[in-house]
Amino acid sequence: MDLTLKIWRQPNANSKGEFKSYQVKEISPDTSFLEMLDILNEDLLHNGEDPVHFDHDCREGICGTCSMFINGRPHGPQRGITTCQLHMRSFKDGDNITIEPWRAKPFPVIKDLVVDRSSFERIIQAGGYISIGTGGVPDANEIPIPRRIANEAMDAAACIGCGACVAACKNASAMLFVSAKVSHLALLPQGQAESKERVENMVAQMDKEGFGSCTNTGACSAECPKEISLEHIARLNREYFFAKQSSENVPVGDQVHEG
Amino acid sequence: MDNFSHDVLIIGGGGAGLRAAIAVAEINPKLNVAVISKVYPMRSHTVSAEGGAAAVIKPDDSLDHHAYDTISGGDWLCDQDAVEAFVNEAPKEMLQLEHWGCPWSRQDDGTIAVRPFGGMKIERTWFASDKTGFHMLHTLYQTSLKYDPIQRYDEWFVTKLIVDDGRCQGAVAIELATGQVQAIAAKSVVICTGGCGKVFPFTTNANIKTGDGMALAYRAGVPLKDMEFIQYHPTGLPFTGILITEATRAEGGYMLNKDGYRYLQDYDLGTPQTEPVLRSMELGPRDRLSQAFVKEMEKGNTLEGLYGQFVHLDIRHLGEKKINAKLPFVRELCLKYENIDPVNEMIPVRPVVHYMMGGIHTDINGATPLPGLYAAGETACVSINGANRLGSNSLTELLVFGARVGSVAAEFASNQSDYTFDMAYESITEENHIKNQFFKEKKNQERIADIRKEMHKTMEEGCGIYRTENSLLASQNILTDLKERFSHVAIDDHSRTFNTELVAALELSNLLDLAESIVQSALSRKESRGSHQRTDYEKRDDENYLAHSLAYQEKDNKPRIEYLPVTITKWPPGERVYGR
Ligand SMILES: Cc1cc2nc3c(=O)[nH]c(=O)nc-3n(C[C@H](O)[C@H](O)[C@H](O)COP(=O)(O)OP(=O)(O)OC[C@H]3O[C@@H](n4cnc5c(N)ncnc54)[C@H](O)[C@@H]3O)c2cc1C
Ligand code: SF4
Ligand code: FES
Repeated sequence: MDLTLKIWRQPNANSKGEFKSYQVKEISPDTSFLEMLDILNEDLLHNGEDPVHFDHDCREGICGTCSMFINGRPHGPQRGITTCQLHMRSFKDGDNITIEPWRAKPFPVIKDLVVDRSSFERIIQAGGYISIGTGGVPDANEIPIPRRIANEAMDAAACIGCGACVAACKNASAMLFVSAKVSHLALLPQGQAESKERVENMVAQMDKEGFGSCTNTGACSAECPKEISLEHIARLNREYFFAKQSSENVPVGDQVHEG
Repeated sequence: MDNFSHDVLIIGGGGAGLRAAIAVAEINPKLNVAVISKVYPMRSHTVSAEGGAAAVIKPDDSLDHHAYDTISGGDWLCDQDAVEAFVNEAPKEMLQLEHWGCPWSRQDDGTIAVRPFGGMKIERTWFASDKTGFHMLHTLYQTSLKYDPIQRYDEWFVTKLIVDDGRCQGAVAIELATGQVQAIAAKSVVICTGGCGKVFPFTTNANIKTGDGMALAYRAGVPLKDMEFIQYHPTGLPFTGILITEATRAEGGYMLNKDGYRYLQDYDLGTPQTEPVLRSMELGPRDRLSQAFVKEMEKGNTLEGLYGQFVHLDIRHLGEKKINAKLPFVRELCLKYENIDPVNEMIPVRPVVHYMMGGIHTDINGATPLPGLYAAGETACVSINGANRLGSNSLTELLVFGARVGSVAAEFASNQSDYTFDMAYESITEENHIKNQFFKEKKNQERIADIRKEMHKTMEEGCGIYRTENSLLASQNILTDLKERFSHVAIDDHSRTFNTELVAALELSNLLDLAESIVQSALSRKESRGSHQRTDYEKRDDENYLAHSLAYQEKDNKPRIEYLPVTITKWPPGERVYGR
């Protein structure tokens, strides 16, 4: 199949970007989306042009690196997959495909389609770990975890930190990501002791990074390649509400994040 | 980080690297630790491990059982003192990870669930759904963030180790975002850069697995151990090489040839039963299963596909419910990459290069012969994996030896004075070296892609599952030629930000050195053991080769092989028995 690609080109963080058009020809429907871009890049290199920069690593939907806004949707038209899992059979011969980076203030563009997602990291740094009891190690079997709870924690832990939820949200809210992280640890017995500080600190960091507020449209969960459920946002709000209630120093007028 | 000087420098942010960094921070909070990684740590290849991590936890299991499975699986090339330390510390490390929030899968009664794995007599593989590596890496990563002394250099590519005054004192690296070349000083350096599957064309390894750390150590005079032992995983998807985890067979999958026959019964691996039997048939060790594939192919019993020969992995009889519950990721992969649904179709598979048993020569604590230099993880060879690693031992190895290496590297760093080299000089010299090597116009200019392709071809043809003197000599000649051609490589892309072509060139230069060491080690070992099968020397030869090979890089850049005896404690070499 032959395709016209409209790709966002931006040489570095400080320059202004623009769309450029490219043609790719005779692409097999079985090639993956990223292989199609590899083919384009080989052509570009061959003609002495700068190849299109995009993030990718595992190409198996696990690492969360690939991140493209394809025809107005994060990770393209299919549900529940990452860009690297997208195949050209999802498109038609002669299609125009627009490819952009994630667009959100807390994710500045580094080059072309590559964005800086270190804001996610700083949110985790604010509390996304368990710090107590790392000295002596009692037997894991002494704190049995009911399978249902273990499974729910596992679902939350499936978040790959790709940022599609932010890109999908008109307010660039990171609630789905943060709620997945909070939920995972809040559900496990070993994570409960610190759950109050965790949720407060992570939410504070999220605000500080400039992510927008959640207005509960559900676009994040619909576009999430791991189909992280909105229930985790509800759990975060519950955790946050109780944490704030029991905090002595609740600033007057501080908002509860809406579910 | 302004002055680029640290106490401990860890190269690699995968499972081994992060575990080591945490160990340093916990042992001595005063030490300043740097973790340098060519990709964001969470993108390290550990993330794609599916199946699980082995450690004794159930009452019917014992440390001796785990040790024996490991040693017989490794065809007696494992150092038994290292294996004993490994099995002993494994449960503690796995529980530690639990306490850091790793969501291990649980049984109905709430206790840890374990699954069977190839070559293991008792079920002892812990798992977190079928994304074990992902959950382990995330747990380590999130935990590492809580230690302020751990600083990270993300997307920096190390090109050279700095050796001065007889000890390793740091490394030089390129910051990929800016192209800046910078020397980084440290009192001790730990290499955790993973394996080098990309020496071969068909591999489960992602593009980043180019064995950089092995090449760095090798060029600094440290020997590479047991490089001839390369694990082929019997069940990769043809063409992409994407792995279908061993757990698929552990749950009861069958291997079928073109006639729908469970051919493994013809290769001394036991008799077929409906239910999976441990250490038998489909649950035999990987080397034996991959070798059986080649024999079936020679008999004309395999199927012909678009991308070569394959056999079938059949899990239809498990039913949709079990497949969704136990192997959701396998179904996901098959649907997404092969457009088939394993609930009602058979999965095409073939052996693919998966894991390096060999690597940087270290002692039981991860120390290399070069003072100040340490290694752990897949890049190191301790050796607990011998001639054939058992599935699910590697993830555990990252934890056990990551923790060990962190503690010895921390101790070494605590007793060292400051660095003695000139930082500006080292940075500029390396920058000029890279410029001269790749950025000059060249006569008869060569392309990276061509050289890489030919290296892949000759490694697969000459140094695959079965080898002979002739095939290896042919590969050796071609590699010599390719190295000469590599000196004519010039890079068209001169940009400083994210110069992927430059990275590809640096990686290829590493791969070529490693390919040479692999071929030379394979030529020298005139016996068949585990994953190293010589059709001209079909038997294991304990008299001459119950020893580790050590490949040293000589002045002319060629490898020289020496041998080091294997450490035997309790288990004298015996026959490997599976299925009987
Ligand atoms: C598909 C797949 C499935 C697997 N499944 C299992 C399993 O179920 N059970 C099991 O036990 N094992 C499994 N393995 C094996 C196991 O996952 C690996 O051996 C292990 O994860 C390697 O971890 P590591 O920390 O040594 O290296 P990696 O995780 O590969 O990390 C290497 C690190 O080094 C960095 N690095 C490399 N070169 C440079 C450089 N030049 N400069 C700077 N940084 C550099 C990288 O950025 C990265 O951070 C599997 C392997 C594969 C490929
Ligand atoms: S919640 Fe989903 S979309 Fe958001 S970062 Fe995690 S995996 Fe990506
Ligand atoms: S490249 Fe890893 S998720 Fe897409």
